[in-house]
This record gives sequence, structure tokens and C-alpha cells, in this order.
Amino acid sequence: MSLFFSGLRKLARRQATWVTLGLLAGLLSLIVIAVGATSNRPGASAMERSAILSLVTFPGAYDQILGFILGLGGLFAVIYGAAIAGSEWTWGTLKNAVARGQSRSRYTLLTFASVATAIAIGLVITFVIGVIAALIGAALAGVSTSGLTDTATLGRLPGQFARGWLAIAEEGALGFAIATLARSQLAGIGAGIALYFGESFAGIFLPDIVKYLPFNVANASLATQSADGGFGGGAQLASFDPNVALGLVVVWLVGALLVAAVFTERAEITG
Amino acid sequence: MTRKAYSRDQRLRQASALDKGTFMTDNDGLALATRGLRKSYGSHVALAGLDLSVPRGKIYGFLGPNGAGKTTTMRLLTGLIHPDAGSIELLGRPFGRRDRHRLYDVGALIESPSFYPFLSGRQNLREVATNGAAVTRGRVEELLELTGLIDRARDKVSTYSLGMKQRLGIAAALLSDPTLLLLDEPANGLDPAGIVAMRETLRHLAAIGKTVLVSSHLLAEVQQMADVVGIIAAGRLVREGPMQELLNAEGIVRVRVGLDEVAGAAVALAPLAGAAAVTSSAAEPGWLSVRLAPDRTGEVNRILAGAGIWATGLETGNDLEMLFLELTGGAPVAGGEGTFFGMAGSRAAE
Repeated sequence: MSLFFSGLRKLARRQATWVTLGLLAGLLSLIVIAVGATSNRPGASAMERSAILSLVTFPGAYDQILGFILGLGGLFAVIYGAAIAGSEWTWGTLKNAVARGQSRSRYTLLTFASVATAIAIGLVITFVIGVIAALIGAALAGVSTSGLTDTATLGRLPGQFARGWLAIAEEGALGFAIATLARSQLAGIGAGIALYFGESFAGIFLPDIVKYLPFNVANASLATQSADGGFGGGAQLASFDPNVALGLVVVWLVGALLVAAVFTERAEITG
Repeated sequence: MTRKAYSRDQRLRQASALDKGTFMTDNDGLALATRGLRKSYGSHVALAGLDLSVPRGKIYGFLGPNGAGKTTTMRLLTGLIHPDAGSIELLGRPFGRRDRHRLYDVGALIESPSFYPFLSGRQNLREVATNGAAVTRGRVEELLELTGLIDRARDKVSTYSLGMKQRLGIAAALLSDPTLLLLDEPANGLDPAGIVAMRETLRHLAAIGKTVLVSSHLLAEVQQMADVVGIIAAGRLVREGPMQELLNAEGIVRVRVGLDEVAGAAVALAPLAGAAAVTSSAAEPGWLSVRLAPDRTGEVNRILAGAGIWATGLETGNDLEMLFLELTGGAPVAGGEGTFFGMAGSRAAE
């Protein structure tokens, strides 16, 4: 367990953690508040206004916020996972652990466990900030917040959180595995971003294949995610039952970690 | 696994292996041994059958030109890479892919020190300590004090100089109070005071029974510090033994005579060590070098006097640099990293 907590301590002291969280929460707040502030602009049809206000109208805003975090957060998770795994190779700190007799696969998996925990904490913090921003947006738009305490929605939230966390963790694991294979922070981040957008782009031509790919299944796994509600990553292809998508998320997550662990176990550490 | 648990595991494994007679015991007095160690990177052969014998409780100077295989050896000894052939014994027991626990008794600084730049020196040591063997309470502070980093312990490593990072690397290697210490170029970036302090620390460690293997390019430093020396070239061990014995066996006596007497002196001295052992250099007119143990300097003087030649200068040169250049040829290893020839000694001039 000391290795896991060591990983968490390192993440908490790392600038990348706070920059990632700040960017995600900042963008979410900015968009939600801007939606509330501009919802009454002249010329908008009633349908447009209704669509825009869904982001600040509770209880639907809960799902919208979670959907936003999953969409943009997925890209951030890939980058974050790649940054953490890649830096172990780039800085040579993996070498320190191995030369002290640490198990390579254990080190890799516990490092990812700390990343996944940081993602869970980040998800909760961003969600809370998103809800506060939605309340401000609702006040600016003059929308009632009576749905804030909708018991049915609040009751579903823990389950939705668990799904969202697994989905983002899977995307983080993908970045983690790519950077491990690349043995480099920069190469891992670059390849992770390319894969993220590449999957979206490929969805135009190969929708039947791409719908099984990691970012798409992650977006599809959120039970109330609307088919067109994603922020990148191919959510528009989601045609899965959320539970099937969740199963595929777990497959991708385990697969990515397996690849990272096996590669680290067999790698020659020469850097 | 805790240290206590490991000790029990160690005893069980040792007892089991002794029953089978599969590996060396501590009785041979070696802390580290490699036999026929081979390692290639693609077509480049880094190690071509290395046999090292590092005695317990000694400082072992591990020398070789660039690309000779020193760092490859260090990586193999710490499990970072794996040999193509051959065997390693750490502290009297075999060390292979599945024996990472052997490293609990080993401290290592391989190549440049590696730390998290966003953590302080103290935090880095604490995080390093979460891996491998247990670290006693207060050990981090003790080592920060020992390496002179206590005043900068709160500062981020990204603000450290090369020398400070090197000292932190040495502190990290000492964290678990290891029985065997492997240091790759530990003096890199250290100031003279730091080098002296490191030498004293390593001497102290050897005095209390620890074994230290130091690879270094600072030959004068190794000469002052090491008890035993091993020299490798092109991935093979070319000489190994106690420092003084090697220096005595490979000593040089330099004598200065009149310019017109150089040829006569060379003929007179030839019977002493063989004609091939007597050389003169155009760069130093009047000087002759004789490969001879320094304690035979008097004989040189007596023979020259007997031949009617009066020496105007006499020096004993038994330094490690001479021995090193002689054994390694002072030339780069084929397929290795190359070397710096200097303006007066380019390959074209050879």
C-alpha cells in the first residue's frame, strides 16, 4: 500500500494534476455560465433556447455536466495518463524502483491505481464545480433550480459516477499504456491525442468498427448519455446498450493495463 | 516484503539451495561475481564474456574506456537489463530474472541520478524509500546530513546543480544501508571537497564491511580510493587484482640522460626488462621509459652508472593512468562510443 500512497502523494504535488483539473473545471464553468448568461439573446428560437437551457436546468443538468466531463475529460485523461507513465521512463525514476528490487508490474499497476484514484477525486471536484456553475448559469438565465433536489436523479448519481469514473479511467489507461510502449512522455501524449481524434475521424468512414473503440464505448457507457451529447471521442456513434458499453470499457481498461504491465516487465531499461 | 520477512525468505532459500549444492556460499569471500557474462544490442556486442570477482569489504575500481561495457555491466547487476548468456552472483547467491529480492541488499547509482524534478530532495528520498528494502526511521535526514544537502532539502530537485543531484543519488543508493554498493561515475559533477567527502564515506563503508563497486573515469581518484581494480576493454576483463600489486607489476621507471647517450642507455637497460620494455619518446628528448616495478629503480641507476652513463633525472611512474592506457591501448572500442583524441594525437598521426 505504501507504493500506492506514494503514487498519490506524487500526483498531488505534481503541477500537471492541478493544471488538468483547473482546465477541465474552468472550461466547464465558463461554458455553463456563458450558456446561462446568453440564453436570452434575441433571435433564438424556442427550440434552440430549450436545448441551450438544458445545460442549466436541473435535474437534467446533472447528466449534461457528467456528459461534458466524460467527453472533454476523456481527452484530458489520455494526456494525463500518458504524462504520468511516460515521465517514469523520461525521468528514469522507474529505473530507481527496479534497481531497488521493486516488482516492475506491481510498480506499474500501483502507479496506475493512484492515477485512477486521482481521476475519481478530480471527477467529483469537477462535478461539484460544474453544478455550482450551472446554478449560477440558471440564476443568470432566470431558470428555476427546483429540480436540484430531484430524489430520483440524485439516487442514480452514485451509479452514474461509477460508470463515468470507469470510462475516464479507461481513457487514462489507454494514454498510460501508449506512453509505456513509447517509453516517453511526449511521444505518449502525442500518440494519445492522435488516437483520440483519429477515432473520431475514423468514425465518419468506419462507424461499425469505431463504435467498439475505446473512446466511443466510454461515451456510450454513461447510462443517460444522449446519442448526440458527447464532446468528441465518437459519442455520436454510440448505439450500445450502456451496460454492454460498460463491459467493453472494462475490457479496454484491463487490456491497456495488461499491455503496460507486460511491456514494463519485459522491457530492457537502458535510459 | 519487509526486511524481516526477506531475511526469513533468504534463509529458507539458502538452506534449500545448499541442500542441492547449486550456488556459491559466502565462503569464497566474493560479494559479487560474474561468469561469462554476455550482452549484445543488435549487432553490437557490449559484453563478450565478462568475469568479475569483487571481494567483500573492499572498494573495487571498475575501469574501462567509453563503450567498453561498464554501464551495461551495472545495468545487468541491477536487473535493468538481462544477459544473453553467463551468470551473476550477488552476495554469494545467483541473481536472475526472478531474483529481484537480492537487490534489497544492494544500493545503486546507475548513470545520471534520476529524480522527480517537482519534488524536493527530501520528498524524493522518501518516495524512493517506498520501493525495495525497508528504510529505518530517520535515515533520510541522516543521509541528507551526510551528503550536505540538509539546507537545500526543501528545495525542488529541478533547482539542484549536477553535483547536488549526484549527492542526492548517492544518498538514495545508501537508503537501505546496503551490503553492496554499485556506483556508476559517482564523482560526476562533484566539487573537490565533495569528491574528498565521497572518498572518505566510501572508505568508511568498506571499513565497516560493506562492498563498493565504483566505475569511474577519474583514474587518480580510483587509484586513491580503490583496494582492487578491474579493467575492461571491448566487453572483456583485461586485468583484475589488488591495486598495489597491479601497479607494482606494471610500474614505469623514467630516466633522463644526455641526448647523445639515449641509444647507449637503451642498450644497457635492455637486459633488465627486455628490449621491448625500454622506450624513448621524441616528445621528451633525453627521457627513456622502462616498464619495471618502482622498487627496482636503483637497479636502473646502477646499470647506467656501470655503463658510464650518468642519469640526470629519475622518476618512478606507477600510476593507474599509465596502466589503463597500456591495457586498453588508449583507443576507442570498435563499435563503442569512441573517444577524444586531442589535437596532438589524432588518428592520422598514429
